[in-house]
Amino acid sequence: MKYLNLKIEEINKLLKEKKITPTILVEEAFENIENNKELNAYITLNKEEALKQAKELENKEVDNILFGLPIALKDNIITKGLRTTCASHILDNFIPIYNATVVEKLKSKNMIIIGKTNMDEFAMGSSSRTSYFGAPRNPWNKEKISGGSSGGSATTIAARDVLFALGSDTGGSIRQPASYTGIVGMKPTYGRVSRYGLVAFASSLDQIGPMTRNVYENAILLNAIVGKDDKDLTSAKKEEEDFTRFIGKDIKVLKLAVPNFFMSDIVNIEIRNKVKDIIKVLENNGAKVDYIDIKYIDKAMTLYQIIAMGEASSNLARFDGIRYGHSKENPENIEDVYYGTRAEGFGEEVKRRIMVGSYLLSGENAKTYYNKALSIRDDMRKELTNIFKDYDLIIGPTTTTTAYNLDDPMDDPKKSFMDDVLVIPVNMAGLPGLNIPIGFDSKHMPIGMQIIANAFEEAKIYHLASFIEKELNLKLDPKGGEHNE
Amino acid sequence: MSNYIATVGVEVHVELKTNTKIFSNSINGYGEMANSLTNVVDLGYPGTLPTLNEEVINLALKAATILNCKIRREMHFDRKNYFYPDNPKNYQITQARTPIGYDGYVEIEINGEKKKIYIEEMHIEEDTCKSAHRGTKTLLDFNRAGVPLIEIVTKPCMESGEEAKLYLEKLREILFYGNISDCKIEEGSMRADANVSIRKSKSDPFGIKVEIKNIGSISNVALSIEKERLRQEKMIEAKETFKPQTRRFDDKLGDTVLMRVKETGNDYRYFPEPDIPFVIITDEMIENAKKTIPMLPDERRKLYLEKGVSKINTTKLIQNRVLSDYFNNLLNEFTNFQIASNLLLGDISGYLNKTEKTINDTTLTKERFIELINCIEDNTLTSKNLKEILESILTSKKSIKEIIKENNIENITDDSAIKEIINKIIMNNPESVNDYKNGHDRAIKFLMGQVMKETKGQIDPKLAMEILQNELQ
Repeated sequence: MKYLNLKIEEINKLLKEKKITPTILVEEAFENIENNKELNAYITLNKEEALKQAKELENKEVDNILFGLPIALKDNIITKGLRTTCASHILDNFIPIYNATVVEKLKSKNMIIIGKTNMDEFAMGSSSRTSYFGAPRNPWNKEKISGGSSGGSATTIAARDVLFALGSDTGGSIRQPASYTGIVGMKPTYGRVSRYGLVAFASSLDQIGPMTRNVYENAILLNAIVGKDDKDLTSAKKEEEDFTRFIGKDIKVLKLAVPNFFMSDIVNIEIRNKVKDIIKVLENNGAKVDYIDIKYIDKAMTLYQIIAMGEASSNLARFDGIRYGHSKENPENIEDVYYGTRAEGFGEEVKRRIMVGSYLLSGENAKTYYNKALSIRDDMRKELTNIFKDYDLIIGPTTTTTAYNLDDPMDDPKKSFMDDVLVIPVNMAGLPGLNIPIGFDSKHMPIGMQIIANAFEEAKIYHLASFIEKELNLKLDPKGGEHNE
Repeated sequence: MSNYIATVGVEVHVELKTNTKIFSNSINGYGEMANSLTNVVDLGYPGTLPTLNEEVINLALKAATILNCKIRREMHFDRKNYFYPDNPKNYQITQARTPIGYDGYVEIEINGEKKKIYIEEMHIEEDTCKSAHRGTKTLLDFNRAGVPLIEIVTKPCMESGEEAKLYLEKLREILFYGNISDCKIEEGSMRADANVSIRKSKSDPFGIKVEIKNIGSISNVALSIEKERLRQEKMIEAKETFKPQTRRFDDKLGDTVLMRVKETGNDYRYFPEPDIPFVIITDEMIENAKKTIPMLPDERRKLYLEKGVSKINTTKLIQNRVLSDYFNNLLNEFTNFQIASNLLLGDISGYLNKTEKTINDTTLTKERFIELINCIEDNTLTSKNLKEILESILTSKKSIKEIIKENNIENITDDSAIKEIINKIIMNNPESVNDYKNGHDRAIKFLMGQVMKETKGQIDPKLAMEILQNELQ
């Protein structure tokens, strides 16, 4: 019996009735991971500790729906006593001495951390191929990428190793791999989830979010990780709410906007057609859909590069070989500690972004580029916020293509950013956005749709997403063999 | 007289007296075991984020008010990026673009004239950690990392080391009295750097600027500025050129030493700190900060002099804030303030120093102190008597009169009784009386000694002397 293939409510019932134990779930998860080893979804497994924790839970009351369930964490989320590498050589020996706030929240729900997932080095990339530990493989086709930067978390969910994973999304890093692997991935509103303990890439954009098999489980996991955190001044204080509350409700009330930019010829025709099919379904069910122009969203990519690389160049300065992580052996002097450690420790993409970011902040450039980007970002946020005066949600494709080959060339940095051209505006405006699988292309690779809401209206996103999920009833297990095409 | 005018600007870093650090909840302390006052935030661990200590904003607002600064109502923090081992994140969180205070001044008195030293800006930032070099190794103590600082930058408006010294003394006094910092230069809680350039005339552009760092005392600031002025004069006179540079003051040499030449302006890649939202300074915050500003030294000086305290006592009282605060408590009472200040600065200070106590550790309430002052004033108690019973006065709660009684001190205040004793002594010492009348001043001292001996000191010496002189006529 594969318990982890059951719905979460069923697993919870079995746990409550003591028909199964957390240990059985943890053992099954590690068996799955072992069987899917070649997918390279994990950097570090937490086997001993997870089993010990599962054992301890056996005598405890099953007090919530997440109790005893294994969860995988992207390896840029700090876990006390469990190696946290950010997929970088510079941290490949780093064992943290504290827990991220989200980790504390998961522990309070008695969830069990199963391991740390593969990713692009310091989340910089969109195919997870900048990982020091090699790229994860797409469970739908092992020659394809899983996307990135949360590629390992997407892979382990798509492969049905576990029900739950956390990723982080700075410029699409949850939604894009979710789209490539056919899973549900949510980037919550900036400030919804504490960033304390998320190794910073671009502080004003980074956000942790849930990656799951389905919409309901996604909302459940989001319920568990949100909240104002005194340790993160950018986290927002909001009334407690249940993100599942609109799930299953009809969509007649919803007014939806489709940005023309999202349906322009930058997007693969198969994907556009699939999205159009969905729009028809939605209209047939009473939703109102308009195609609209949104100012600035085509500029988001440029703004993103300036802001993200500028901030990254500063955020990554702390990796200097002095207090933790890799350090150059037998350095000659302090300069050698810095240059040697960072030359050896960082990969090419990270170095490139640090250099570009440093340049962008240098001297007068800060005014010319970074400050200007911040001010245009404000305009873009206002523009998008205005859209939500007339519409409940914005919808469109998540990506311009489906997952491409692992051995496609990596030497065009602009291409890597183009993968994320549709997901980045959401980060720039601090809005919530989610990927929901809507079918497959002619090569049987998953296609995803993006649903975007106004700030702090994640519940509305789950409302529409749950409807689409139910309506399409796709078979999304890569080993299930048959595709709903 | 020199042919050149010096232009001097001063940058001062002051550690704020808060309970915890600026961006973490570690204790802000000095002299503790190395790295015992640190946490993951201070150490710049991956994933950590700064919080913002509200105490810091409050103290900075107080400082801005005291320094007569305008206050920025919407401010943010910036990252100053540079690599150095004492800088745990390799960026320092500071305020580059929106300093909390700007356009202020401090008033000093130089050669009897008042002069305003203009403050360009004052901003909040975090301190770095402390490094100690041991042979080829460098040790880092992160206890200081994240201690809140304010940096106060003057305009280039001073012309001598003396002015800079007076400015720093004034600054130290008001920041200390404002409870903003303990301003201990020897512990590094106040640090000054000076910028010095010279030019021939005020219509000339400023000369080449030299920064002097690591100056360990206020008097050395004055000295190093004067030394630097001379060095620059000599070079210019000798037609030698020099570049903008950073020098340090060497205590042993008593002169400045080159640290580094500034090739190009430093590129700190400043940008707004994304981890800390903008801070809005409300009227209420400013009012609350103002409310907690105690009476400052200038006002105290004025009041003490008005109340008849001598200039020297006034100066001494202000040098000791605890005594001055205690003294302030009396100001609404009707008493002899000169006697009060004599007592506080004399016998009482002596006792406090000996016993390592402060005035607040004693039992000398305001009411008992006033009683004491009155006893001195009406000669119930002489200063000799006071020494005998001072400890009782400062440690028991009994009234001064009771203590006097218990110690069998009864001063002879009855003029006729004193006259009787004095006349007896005059009768018994005719030689001395003769000597006195023949102009030997020493003789009266001998007679006075006899009076004190006879009365066992229980007599006001002034009064006794007066009567003695009268009786000898």
